[in-house]
Amino acid sequence: MPNNIIEIRNLRKVYHVGSEKVVALNHITLDIEAGEFCCLVGTSGSGKSTLLNMLAGLEKPSLGTVRIKGQAIEKMSEKQLARFRQENIGFIFQSYNLIPTLTALENTAMPLIFRGMPRKQREALAREALQRVGLANHMAHRPTQMSGGQQQRVGIARALVSRPPIVFADEPTGNLDSKTTREVMELMTSTTRDLGQTLVLVTHDLSIASYADRIIHISDGNIVKIVNNRKRLAK
Amino acid sequence: MKFTDIIGLALKNFLRRKVRSFLTILGVTIGTAAVVVMLSLGIGMSEGFEKQMEMMGSLTTIEVNRYYYEESPRGGRTEPATIDDKVIEAISQIKGVKVVTPVMWRSAKLVSGKYMAWAQLYGIRPEALEALGYVPAEGRLLNPGEHDMLLFGVGATQNFYNPKTSRWGNPGGRPPVNVMTDRLELTLDDSYGESWADPNKKPAKLYRVRTAGILEPVNDQMDWCVVVDIGYLQKIVREYDISQGTFSRDTTSYEQALVKVEDVHQVDYVLQEIKAMKLGTFSLQDILKGMKEQLFMIQAVLGGIGAMSLLVAALGITNTMVMSIYERTREIGVMKVLGCLLTDIRKLFLWEAGIIGFSGGVIGLLLSLLASYLLNRFGGDLGGLIGGGIYAPDGTRLPISVIPVWLAAAAVGFATFVGLVSGFYPANRAMKLSALEAIRNE
Repeated sequence: MPNNIIEIRNLRKVYHVGSEKVVALNHITLDIEAGEFCCLVGTSGSGKSTLLNMLAGLEKPSLGTVRIKGQAIEKMSEKQLARFRQENIGFIFQSYNLIPTLTALENTAMPLIFRGMPRKQREALAREALQRVGLANHMAHRPTQMSGGQQQRVGIARALVSRPPIVFADEPTGNLDSKTTREVMELMTSTTRDLGQTLVLVTHDLSIASYADRIIHISDGNIVKIVNNRKRLAK
Repeated sequence: MKFTDIIGLALKNFLRRKVRSFLTILGVTIGTAAVVVMLSLGIGMSEGFEKQMEMMGSLTTIEVNRYYYEESPRGGRTEPATIDDKVIEAISQIKGVKVVTPVMWRSAKLVSGKYMAWAQLYGIRPEALEALGYVPAEGRLLNPGEHDMLLFGVGATQNFYNPKTSRWGNPGGRPPVNVMTDRLELTLDDSYGESWADPNKKPAKLYRVRTAGILEPVNDQMDWCVVVDIGYLQKIVREYDISQGTFSRDTTSYEQALVKVEDVHQVDYVLQEIKAMKLGTFSLQDILKGMKEQLFMIQAVLGGIGAMSLLVAALGITNTMVMSIYERTREIGVMKVLGCLLTDIRKLFLWEAGIIGFSGGVIGLLLSLLASYLLNRFGGDLGGLIGGGIYAPDGTRLPISVIPVWLAAAAVGFATFVGLVSGFYPANRAMKLSALEAIRNE
């Protein structure tokens, strides 16, 4: 019996652009297992980002339901969602989205600040996370003093620091060169595996998708193909 | 989020745009300083008036007179009124009245050997003396029911002269009569012993009197009076009138009554109660009230001018905050995605605005204190122009501008409040920002 951490049932999202209806997602049903590395692949406009946003509770579905750890997140209030994200979700962005005035250490500790964790405790955890991503020597650097790859490592550390069971990554390597891309992908794969986290990654790049346990192809709001690549779960 | 973290992050954001933060604070600084300096001028004037009033007499004393001014739509009318023992008793029952005494005046002559002095006798109930603030400089006050006893005002002891030589007093030296020790006689005939006295006048009785004490100077007419028990004064006046065959005097009504009120704040109430008894009243409070009303107008205008610049500063804060939210849209979105509570986001921006207001308030206050100091030190001419620059009795100039502690505290508090109010709309806007929109914009 597989342990499904994310259950998507009959999910539909329709945008109204002027008087026209645009179907972004069309009756998606999908289960994601705990500890799985799942990749959503599709071209621009396929609806893959919309799906990710709905998994993170950033958008409300037009129809259907998303259950994470058994809880229907589309029914949560903003406040409940914030708490839910604090405890369960880490986020990695394409453009890193670090806060420019804060150091790498402070940026990493951000999610813990929102939880109200005391400074000493959260800085210890952030230091540990930065060491894990290989930035032990850059803790006091500000984002502008770091390369793109280093910034994304801080982004990964930030997503790991509170040990959330789920990490969402939206084109995390979109702004990186191929060498750095490889490093970042390997880092993400290994750390999420070591911490037993579920990783859901959105990309249009099939070479990146090859890191995943399962590749879900999305086109025009529908799941068109699911490729199992279970090297991770097999271990 | 913990409170200290909210403050810390707000401070960081505030320090991020130094020039803009500085300019915004400068706006609040000028606004606060304008309000504080304007109000301090008003307070300076008000305190000046009060000091002047205090020089004139006590603010807690009410004079009750034997007429009543009746106001009507067709103009007022003055009606006679009576102050007798029943009225005095009724006034003493009013809440807040410390003491009430009837008052009576009579001019008289004091005789001591070859010297004489004209004396204004002031009849009063001795038990009221202490409450009215009279303190003996020498000797003691009068005791109730004490006849043949005098209590001198400090100026009244200097009045002795020799009618034969017409030499007044003893300039540059001791007064010719020491009222505490020398033999004294009192008569109500004020032409007694004078060369111009009417030879056909029936002789008036001379009363042998002694002095209980001499009062500390109070800088008003009392310094030139001789205080006696009002019962004693009534008695000798009656005897004098009988001796002169003119006894027809209405001795049941006193000329005046003095009321001492417990507390300055009760004076208004007591005044109203006495007026309701259809008696005329006079109190320095009446004058002060009129002045204060005028002053209030002046202060309102001055404060209003200051408030205008603070309003402009408030718009400056709102503008700065809105701009800063535009710039930080993405950051706010990321914070939301990372699980920051909406209320915490609002708090962050509110505090940032509050910090701007508070800093502006503090700097503005310091600026005002400096301006106030300079005004008081060098602003003499300006003081005359706006009605300040009053001199105290000892010759020191009263300050033009006064910043009491409450004004200082209120200025900083109000500036912070203005900051918070100005930040409220931007903070709400930041809170409502869609996280998705925020992270989507590239």
